[in-house]
Amino acid sequence: MDSVRDNLRLDLSAEREVINELETHIEDELQDLKEAGLSEEEAANTCVKLLGSAKLVARQIYEAHSQGTWGQTLLASMPHLLFGLLFALNWWRGIGWLLIMLVLVLSMAVYGWWHGRPAWLFPWLGYSLLPVVAAGLLLLYLPKGWSWLAILLYIPLALWLLYSITVQTIKRDWLYSSLMLLPVPTIIGWFLAVEVAKFPGHWLERLHQFAPWIGLSFLALAVAVATFIRLRQRWLKATVLVISGLITLTMVAYYADGRLSLPAFLVLIIAMLSLLLSPALVERKLRRGGQQPVV
Amino acid sequence: MAKRGELMKGSTDSLLLCLIGQQPMYGYQIIKELDKRSQGYFKFKEGTLYPALRRVERAGLIVGKWQLLPSGQQRKYYHITDKGRYTLVEKRSQWQEFLVAMNLIIQPVRV
Repeated sequence: MDSVRDNLRLDLSAEREVINELETHIEDELQDLKEAGLSEEEAANTCVKLLGSAKLVARQIYEAHSQGTWGQTLLASMPHLLFGLLFALNWWRGIGWLLIMLVLVLSMAVYGWWHGRPAWLFPWLGYSLLPVVAAGLLLLYLPKGWSWLAILLYIPLALWLLYSITVQTIKRDWLYSSLMLLPVPTIIGWFLAVEVAKFPGHWLERLHQFAPWIGLSFLALAVAVATFIRLRQRWLKATVLVISGLITLTMVAYYADGRLSLPAFLVLIIAMLSLLLSPALVERKLRRGGQQPVV
Repeated sequence: MAKRGELMKGSTDSLLLCLIGQQPMYGYQIIKELDKRSQGYFKFKEGTLYPALRRVERAGLIVGKWQLLPSGQQRKYYHITDKGRYTLVEKRSQWQEFLVAMNLIIQPVRV
């Protein structure tokens, strides 16, 4: 049963229900076999044989549960849609809209985290970590002396927070970690294209110039997330994430009027692939380390 | 067995609906009942049954309810819904038509 549980990768409430149902099933089967004259050990062995491959059973059950409803699909793609609208309709210039977004993203992330970590949570969780990163970057622009404070205090704390949330997410399912990190390469791509670090004085103008395309790239991410939630098979889900990463980075390179050089584009592609696929390796390592994937 | 599996693919949901339509049942009971009534033809495994139950439940045709037994054990019983009953009537008539048509083709022609 542990092996089935390890491979289920469902949210906590669904997992508990599936495991309870399977345990009851096996108890009934054991009882019947013992009544038929088998010893405890023989009955247990027969049960294991009848169950077959725990991995296969878990995969079949996972695929029956993994397709989200249309409501969950909308909820999961919502943060990308909202970020797309923020830029497409130029709401990003109003501090009010930004604050509303921040409160909404944080509230949804906290609510989802404490309510069984369903699939729709992870896009919200990804965006909720953005302010943590942005605050760290802003602290680096503080006057001399203060920036050291940021490096010594804030950045280690922020890195620890990002690391622990990513590991917790990987323990739930590495695909959700990739789903959470999905907008990161696109955001970095636009950050480089807008050249915030190179010309801090003019980045707002360029952001305004690129805003419709930024909106479009987030819309592409929303479509990818919706497809991810509706698909059943894990390999298809992973493929959708990678393809959407490639499409949005290509959009960044195309619409950025040559501001994103070819080497930078290629580095971003490699970084995107590593970011989206490395959680699978981390999960394997965590399992080998003897940790349970579901906490 | 692979050929039998192909034949069963399209009929699993109807079989479940038909059994649960007669009385609320739990997973293990469904497997036993299918095996008994089909004289060993339908042998479902956990990996087939529970995903199928989930699929039918998602379609709103059945609903699973946990029930506490006097022994303290909890069991999930599946009940048919109104939508499920309506679908079952439709499926039954489709099956009848299908069987009649199949028999007309398969049975040897009497000269």
